[in-house]
Amino acid sequence: MTYRWGCAVLVMLCLGVPLRAQEEAPEEEEPSLKPKLEFAFEAKAHYRDSDLNRFAVPFRFDPIMLPRDQSQGFEETVNAGSHLEISTVTLLVDATWGDGLAAHGKIDFIDLYDRNPTSSDGKTDVDEAWVRFGIEPAPATLAPRGGAYLKIGKMPKLERQDDRHLESYGLVSAAFNRFEDTGAELGLNLGRHVYVKATATQGNPVFLRDPNALAGDNGTPAMRQPFPDPELKSGIVILYDAEVEDLDVDGDLELGGGVGVRFADEGGVNGVDFLAWGYRRNLAETVELEGTFYGGDLDLLNGPGNATPFPALRGDEKREAGANVWVYFGGLSFFGQFVDQEIAGLPRTGLEAEVAWRFELPLWLSIGDRQLFTFVAPAARYSELDNDFRNHPNTPAPSLAWDWKKLDAGLRVGIIPGADLTVEYADHEFILGNGAKRDNNEFLTTFRWRV
Amino acid sequence: MRRLVPVLMLLLALPAAAEELRGRLQLVGKGGKGPAGGSDVRQALVWFEPAAPKPASPSTFVMTTRGKQFEPRTLTIPVGSRVRFPNEDVILHNVFSVSGENSFDLGLYRRGKGKEQKFDRPGLVRVFCNVHHSMVGYILVLQSPYVATPDAEGRFVLTGLPRGPGRLTVWHEQAEPAGMDVQVPRAEPLAPRLEIVRPRIPPHLNKTGKAYSTRDNYNQR
Repeated sequence: MTYRWGCAVLVMLCLGVPLRAQEEAPEEEEPSLKPKLEFAFEAKAHYRDSDLNRFAVPFRFDPIMLPRDQSQGFEETVNAGSHLEISTVTLLVDATWGDGLAAHGKIDFIDLYDRNPTSSDGKTDVDEAWVRFGIEPAPATLAPRGGAYLKIGKMPKLERQDDRHLESYGLVSAAFNRFEDTGAELGLNLGRHVYVKATATQGNPVFLRDPNALAGDNGTPAMRQPFPDPELKSGIVILYDAEVEDLDVDGDLELGGGVGVRFADEGGVNGVDFLAWGYRRNLAETVELEGTFYGGDLDLLNGPGNATPFPALRGDEKREAGANVWVYFGGLSFFGQFVDQEIAGLPRTGLEAEVAWRFELPLWLSIGDRQLFTFVAPAARYSELDNDFRNHPNTPAPSLAWDWKKLDAGLRVGIIPGADLTVEYADHEFILGNGAKRDNNEFLTTFRWRV
Repeated sequence: MRRLVPVLMLLLALPAAAEELRGRLQLVGKGGKGPAGGSDVRQALVWFEPAAPKPASPSTFVMTTRGKQFEPRTLTIPVGSRVRFPNEDVILHNVFSVSGENSFDLGLYRRGKGKEQKFDRPGLVRVFCNVHHSMVGYILVLQSPYVATPDAEGRFVLTGLPRGPGRLTVWHEQAEPAGMDVQVPRAEPLAPRLEIVRPRIPPHLNKTGKAYSTRDNYNQR
């Protein structure tokens, strides 16, 4: 049984326990062997309109590797045009035994937008499956007291933005910490304000994907056929830390850590949190990823057949350091992140900042004893990715070395508790190797429903 | 002497001489600097507790949930009184309090006459809704019937007070209450000041002691 299916079975076992009604009055939490279980379903439906852009690549593909009547390879917008699609149906399971022990599972079905990394990847994915001993305060909230926690399993990275106000991702999130890793995280609350975290994980494989909604198809089995013409196209890609899919205990661990300080009110509404963090690991020669025959890590950086390595590529060390800021004040929230990364001698930095303001709406209408139109939350996010390295002159993916800027702006409207609509536009700009600027913009509307 | 007895009994049957306490409450900003902006002095309460307590008779009061607010926002009731919490909104509310011995939890309920709660202990009861973080109400359970609300200028008059010593308390939801010993009658008007130190929606947790979920977050569990 694979790791993926092992996690799935664990979570499905939890489903055997009767459902608890969402609106049932929560009971006093007392330590007990019987867990308190919560289940949730989330589904996302979208209207997406992606601008069509294509850029010729210098790599000399054998004509049999290109669509018929095409002598040139391109990086091309993934599935351009207007589309209605359902991106995910997600099952979430939480079990808690008092404050000191918690387990969490998250399984995506369909998994269109989080596909890792291509459309031929599995359509069912265990995004998270972890157990935690001890209390882990949310960002910008106070720890109830000093103490420690240990979290083991597949989990979000410690620096990931956990409270997002747009459906799209910024360039920094997409490149560095959008996807989960597997391992252990130890947290120490040194009093209520200061905290330290340390991680030992597998490390996310370095791969490539389009940073817009759809990842694009690279190295899919269909491309082994003569004259392939994949429907989704390659995308205009960046290097990113792909999701860990299989348990690999043989490779080098990625070691990471962070130190932070937070101040907040007792109600957990207003607060500020600052976290400095870093990671280090040795890249693998190759990492197999389901859905692509391209290898991750050094295999990817060396190009097809090791023929187009990045000129500055050296060694196998991957390291990154960064800083996060969270601010919550009333309905205002701000998240900022800076990352400085070096992948085997390839340096790059990323900067991302998101501001949102949630306005609670007065009670005008209701449906089924619930308020209709509960809040509006305008949000804007700026992100940039500066790749301070050059690409191989014959690369099949020149965009990997371009500099990128992205401005996302949108509005989220709460329709009823548990359902909301997000309308957003991504103004996506990159600077080509010759200095020319191009766009790859996208309009995205997301209806999200949680039960 | 026999003629005096009915006269004395008549006098005893009459109420004691009713006195007044007058004053003007001023709300000031943090550090006592200037008047407090955005805080309504009419939301304050002033009450007098005579040294010899005179409890008021319990009764039934009403605090309504309407437009995702408690109305009235502040209620004073005698010890032993009951409060009914009708829901006039077309959505569910869950009225609760975790204020010591006056704690209660009415659970979720829809539009209708609502539920009742009895308050047997004197003190301040902070009332919240477990669904809507912005809903805040206050019930002051008092052992004294002498309560006044200031006007828009902060002026207040406590009437019908018995002569003698007692304690005057001035309260506002955004301030620490102030108390002072007072002798009734008193010629000089009172001039209490309260420093506004708390936001209109005070930091508070839900009924299970956890933060209200206003964040879009499934990952921090």
